[in-house]
Amino acid sequence: MDPSGVFPTSYRADRRVVRTRWQALALLLFLAVMLAAPHLAGGRIIAVLNLMLISAVIAVGLQICTGYAGQINLGQAAFMGVGAYTAAILASRFGLTFLLTIPLSGVAAALFGFLFGLTAARIKGFYLALTTIAAQFIFHFAVLNLPGSWLGGSNGITVPPAELFGFRFVTETSQFYLNLIVAGVMIAGAFGIIRSRFGRAFVAVRDDDVAAGIMGINVAATKANAFLIGAFYAGVGGALWAYMIRFVAVDQFTLFHSIFFVAMIIVGGMGSIVGALIGVFVIRIIQEIIATVGPNIADSVSFLGGDIVFAGMNVILGGIIALFMIVEPKGLMHRWNILKSSYRIWPFPY
Amino acid sequence: MVYFINDVITGALIGLLYALVAMGFVVIYRASKVFNFAQGELVIIGGFIVWFTTLELGLNLWLSIPLSLVLAGVVGYLIERIFLTRLIGESVFSMVMVTIGLLILLRGVVLLLFGPAVRPFPIIFPLKPLFLGDMLIPMNLLIGGILTIVAAVGLSWFFNRTRSGLRMTAVAEDHVVASSMGISVKGSIAFAWILGAVLSTIGAMIFLSGKSLTFLASEIGFAALPVALLAGLESIGGLILAGIIIGVIQSLTTNYLDPYVGGSLGSVVPYVIMLAILLIRPTGLFGWRTIERV
Repeated sequence: MDPSGVFPTSYRADRRVVRTRWQALALLLFLAVMLAAPHLAGGRIIAVLNLMLISAVIAVGLQICTGYAGQINLGQAAFMGVGAYTAAILASRFGLTFLLTIPLSGVAAALFGFLFGLTAARIKGFYLALTTIAAQFIFHFAVLNLPGSWLGGSNGITVPPAELFGFRFVTETSQFYLNLIVAGVMIAGAFGIIRSRFGRAFVAVRDDDVAAGIMGINVAATKANAFLIGAFYAGVGGALWAYMIRFVAVDQFTLFHSIFFVAMIIVGGMGSIVGALIGVFVIRIIQEIIATVGPNIADSVSFLGGDIVFAGMNVILGGIIALFMIVEPKGLMHRWNILKSSYRIWPFPY
Repeated sequence: MVYFINDVITGALIGLLYALVAMGFVVIYRASKVFNFAQGELVIIGGFIVWFTTLELGLNLWLSIPLSLVLAGVVGYLIERIFLTRLIGESVFSMVMVTIGLLILLRGVVLLLFGPAVRPFPIIFPLKPLFLGDMLIPMNLLIGGILTIVAAVGLSWFFNRTRSGLRMTAVAEDHVVASSMGISVKGSIAFAWILGAVLSTIGAMIFLSGKSLTFLASEIGFAALPVALLAGLESIGGLILAGIIIGVIQSLTTNYLDPYVGGSLGSVVPYVIMLAILLIRPTGLFGWRTIERV
């Protein structure tokens, strides 16, 4: 969203991701800080950053599916779970290297997601969201009820650490660099996808699917693709999660986790990759604060018991979703864009 | 054979209970075009209200049940006033997203107010099952099933035959068109949420009567989802048939297939049916077929 008078004069300029020198500088500075982060900050912060990087991959996938293609997806945690279980099984039973398991997890999750996206051929509107809820339940059922020797049942699966040429990613710092590289590749890829014809088709379908169909876009295939890509991102994020926690169990991937991811893209702003990253940052910080402060409150108000953290998180995140939908449905990114265009044209009003 | 018939009857009655909870979905959809993801949370809120008036305040059942229904209506109205009224004129997408937020918000509020403890739920319907020859039929489900059928017939008549019901149907078609015809979208949505909350409370009474109450009871909201979709989201009368179909299939799967697969196949079968319906006949058995214009 540029102010009037600011416009690209060539296709190359229009397609550019980094548009100004200041943006390039900010990007370089951000990358430098990220690369140096393990040397600047202590253990707890690195653990949170790790979680943020993994969530960023998953939330960017959800942003493509929901923010760009307009398909409500309440199964992102199930898709993440499929990726995490794939990575866990490939790594622990077949001893594959993480260079293979991470992409394969993405593919497995993408296939699972595509299966549910396929219903798009018949269903329109948010009915499609209901199939993603079915995905969530079917994933749980499959893990808990298939023979324990297949998926570990309710015991979960222990995952060996990622290993490359004898180097084992066991410390949080080494995992941080692994997550940073994968997240960097995935986010750069997301910028590529949304600027391609697929990305433009997503936006067209989101804005009006009937009109998009008349313009020659295959609407059903586009919706199924949106699920495929969104689930691929979730699968890759799930694989990273498996390598970080080194243990996967079904209760790490519930409907609530899916809703947390939805909260991230709503807070950051629908239809913006950077918005998804901001959303991840804000929501994870809030969760971290609640997780830190919660137990202290629980001590002083004893009758609430230990569930106050979970309850408080639900109240605050649910409140945030509702608040943002009511007050600023376009998210923080939109606020920032308004601010940016107003200082660019200062002192004129428009 | 007797066992088989007994399973079919019990399944059909459980299906009618699902239909009652699904009626909450459908009523809200029929009067506002909003798909309420937080239906299960309305059920537990209803459950806690009944628990509060009956066991905490110690009121007589004849007094506490009407009071609970009124309180549930107030809660439904408040939810509508605080969250949904402000979104009239925004896209339906925003409203649906708000109900997703409500899903976790309401659950958190219930946990904060009442804690995670398991509570006894008052015995509202007689615990003694009805014996028919060798068959035994749970009394709460039987009374619940009759209530469901009465409610479905009544609401179906209201939405299809009365003037105010048809107004709400117009709101479900299109908010902008409805309000330009002089129909109050606000009033319609408020009515829908009050009715949705009241129906959920009745559902909670039947479901939980004589059992224990925790926030896990909200699972029934999602269990009712396949019933709503099989009937078609717009059809109230169709819920009875859809509920019976899903309930019977689930009961038979639980009793005859689960021993072989060694798991809770019965709990996932409704979702498989739901996926199949969405693929074969997305409008459900009795839903509206809409024609779209650009």
